[in-house]
Amino acid sequence: MTSPAEADAGSEVVNAGRPQPRRGISLSDAGPPIALVVIFGVFAVLSPDFRTLSNVQNVLDAAAVLAVVTCGISFVLMMGSIDLSAPGIMGASAIAVALLVANNRNDNDFGLFGVAVAVLLGAALGCLSGLALVVLKVPSFMTTLGISAVGLGVATLMFAGVQPNVTDPMLEGWAVERFLGLAHLTWIAVACVLVGVLVQRYSRLGRYAFAIGGAEEVLGLSGVRVAPYKVAVFTMAGAFYGLAGVLVTSQLSAGLVQAGKGYDFSAITAAVVGGTLLTGGRGGILHSAVGVLLVTVLTNGLVQVGVSPYWQGGVQGLIVVAAVAAAVLPQRRRNQVTK
Amino acid sequence: MSAPALTSPAPDAVVPGRPTVGQRLTAFMPVIALVVLLAALTIADPGFLTLSSLTAAVRTSAPLVVLAAGATLVVLCGGIDLSIAALCSLATVFFALWLPDLGGITTVAIIAATGAIGALQGVAHVLFRIPSFIVTLGGMSIFTAVALVISDAGPVRVVDRDATNWLTLYVGGVVPMAFVVALVLVAAVSLVLRLTPLDSWIRATGYSESAARLAGAPVDRVKIAAFTVSGACAGLAAVMLVSRNFSGSPTMADNLLLPAVAAIVVGGTAITGGHGSLWRSLAGALVVTLLRVGLPIVGVPSAYEQILYGAIIVAAVALTLDRSKVLIIK
Repeated sequence: MTSPAEADAGSEVVNAGRPQPRRGISLSDAGPPIALVVIFGVFAVLSPDFRTLSNVQNVLDAAAVLAVVTCGISFVLMMGSIDLSAPGIMGASAIAVALLVANNRNDNDFGLFGVAVAVLLGAALGCLSGLALVVLKVPSFMTTLGISAVGLGVATLMFAGVQPNVTDPMLEGWAVERFLGLAHLTWIAVACVLVGVLVQRYSRLGRYAFAIGGAEEVLGLSGVRVAPYKVAVFTMAGAFYGLAGVLVTSQLSAGLVQAGKGYDFSAITAAVVGGTLLTGGRGGILHSAVGVLLVTVLTNGLVQVGVSPYWQGGVQGLIVVAAVAAAVLPQRRRNQVTK
Repeated sequence: MSAPALTSPAPDAVVPGRPTVGQRLTAFMPVIALVVLLAALTIADPGFLTLSSLTAAVRTSAPLVVLAAGATLVVLCGGIDLSIAALCSLATVFFALWLPDLGGITTVAIIAATGAIGALQGVAHVLFRIPSFIVTLGGMSIFTAVALVISDAGPVRVVDRDATNWLTLYVGGVVPMAFVVALVLVAAVSLVLRLTPLDSWIRATGYSESAARLAGAPVDRVKIAAFTVSGACAGLAAVMLVSRNFSGSPTMADNLLLPAVAAIVVGGTAITGGHGSLWRSLAGALVVTLLRVGLPIVGVPSAYEQILYGAIIVAAVALTLDRSKVLIIK
């Protein structure tokens, strides 16, 4: 596991007795944060509106939902799988939470319990795609594409033609009330990132997710039953999407079927830009968090310098292809087969 | 990917003498599904099995057949093309914008342009070794962005209806021209594949890319060609959509992605590549269209349509997947 980049870092630092488990700063790890600083600097020079404190707050607030989605997808990508189910799961949980807290459609007023149910619904849908992957052996991009459609269908059923508007003060407050200059949503996202980091570093689930991405055969041959961990990772990802759906509902004060439209792709972009390899085994929540900020700064900055917001998706598309190409090119020979 | 010989399930490696009943059933799955669906719908509503409603159904299915047929080639190579629907939407906008200037040759220009865009994706996939679903997912959002920008995020009206009039005609007064074009396309591509080494190359690429490469098949060029045809088909489907809606719109075809993928996998083309054909996708597209048309007839709310697509995709892939090849499912 020794890379040349690590040797560079090692020449600076006095070597501790045992080999470092790649915690040191390698060039590919430092790239995304440097890019973030550079892009931030460029936009700050180009646009006077961009370099205001309130705009920085805006960027952080705008990154909240994407950060939560990316937390979920990062674990899936770490395993080398892919997850396209965010739009469906977010849509389902958005409508579910809007119908469960105080709203204009029914007399429910479950408050936090409603939020919990919506997150559980997301987890259940995520679990379903995990099970389809493990039991039916269907590749993850197909199962999650299917589950996304199922989620959208469930959302449409609950939507039933009348938009549920949220009147619950707590949920509405999340998007409006501020703490230390940032909306409560943003702090929830920060908490999610922290939870993600803790799970990744200190739980068996997080470490096995890495190992599955790195070398699943080896893990299987060492007697680890991989399947339950895969299902668990997809379930956890689903829970994160469910929470993201709740956050969107809080922002819009209404449940929308399209609450999660485009978030799957944005999250993959953020994770990939942050340095997660699509082949699995590399990356992490903190990488992805940097990626989320990169994507959000880029989106915000481009609008500030006068680029049509419609280009957003196009820019993300270019970035993701470029980032994946940059990550894969050095190993061209090794994975000669690309599907 | 180095084949991990350690984990290969040895007992299954024996070459089966003749297909089992189950295999035979899955081979005819799309046709069986089609017949069963037709029968069920006729029982639910005896008025369904009339000439006019069947004509309407096949007419609706034409763009879907074309989209699915093109993407089938990519799937046969072992990849996936998720950009077809977005490219088709973009092409409808192009068509509406170009028609005043180009007139009669707009259709050809559109198909050439989308073919070139498809080829570009293929080149990116082959040259940079980026997984096909990432290239096409990126392509999907780029095409949507371009379509939104050049159309100002709204529908563009097509005033000159003569250019697409031929697609709205009926052959022999019964069969819609659009469907005939779709059939001719499927037949022509299948024939070209059969008469040239292309068929073997595509199959070899799908079954085992490294083996195909070692055997001297032009794997890279075959893949680029598959993406090109897929793009061109998206263009043709766009012309069909415009002929029906008399406008181009940046989101017109976006909801065709799931049905197209469903059509391919319901047809029995293995998502792992190699096994399948365009005819299967034709049958699959008809099944999907019948489901779409038929759900309201039997009184199921259309919200279930999405759930059904999801379930169908997962179930069909699970049935057709070539498990001997993929030891580790990501």
